[in-house]
Amino acid sequence: MASLITCPHCGVRPKEEFAIRGDASLVRPAPSASDEAWHDYVYVRANPRGRTVEHWHHVAGCRRFLVVERDTVTHEVYSVVDGAAAAREAQR
Amino acid sequence: MVRDYNNRHALDQKLRGAPKPAHADHLEVGHWQAIATVLAHVGLDAAVERALSSTPDLSLRYCGPGEWLVVSGVDTPVGLMRRLDMLCGTQAHVVDHSDGRVLMRLSGPSARQILAKGIGVDLHPAAFVLCGSTNVLCGHIAINLARTGEDVFELIVSRSFAESLFEDLMTMGRPFDLSAAFSE
Repeated sequence: MASLITCPHCGVRPKEEFAIRGDASLVRPAPSASDEAWHDYVYVRANPRGRTVEHWHHVAGCRRFLVVERDTVTHEVYSVVDGAAAAREAQR
Repeated sequence: MVRDYNNRHALDQKLRGAPKPAHADHLEVGHWQAIATVLAHVGLDAAVERALSSTPDLSLRYCGPGEWLVVSGVDTPVGLMRRLDMLCGTQAHVVDHSDGRVLMRLSGPSARQILAKGIGVDLHPAAFVLCGSTNVLCGHIAINLARTGEDVFELIVSRSFAESLFEDLMTMGRPFDLSAAFSE
């Protein structure tokens, strides 16, 4: 696993300071969406090989949610963005 | 039955007894330090930081975006709260943490080597600058670490973790003959 994460607020930190909170690429379905869509959103997860986007929580540091793009094979970290900033970017 | 409430310091048990002389590397534990958390309202980070840093005897410790621990060496907890309310009461949430946090001051030529055993940040003088501060993990305990002097570091930890962190630090400092005492 990627062992050093460059937090946008705290700098380079070991992965022990973080908690991984799961896939960040999921989009919440509309409230009126079908039960299948909601079931998939809540329970069904892929186990990807390669590039993934995840929510990481910097528990022992700034306590902010980050969006980390990393590779599960090569352990390379491509980008780390603050979760609020990523959400603002996505809304645009 | 009525019992008196004894307000004891979190490390009272550990540091009881006659004060021993301080060695070259020394851990000093603050007695009733005034500490408060300030969390700026959305979008007012810069304004609050300006208000806080304009006051010379308040020491600001960075926790995260728009969040600081404010340490005062001269105020009582109540006095600090009153001052912070006047400074930025309308722009930020201010919470008194004087009883909830314990401040430890580690000083001496081997301070960096001692801390490096438990902390995952670069402590080199050029990387961790004077007056720099940040939240880090020391062993398994989340602390706020600040550099207040050339070889002086201040650790702020939750009261419930203070005893555990104290024991960890003393173990980390054993090869350097680390001594510990309450500050005067």
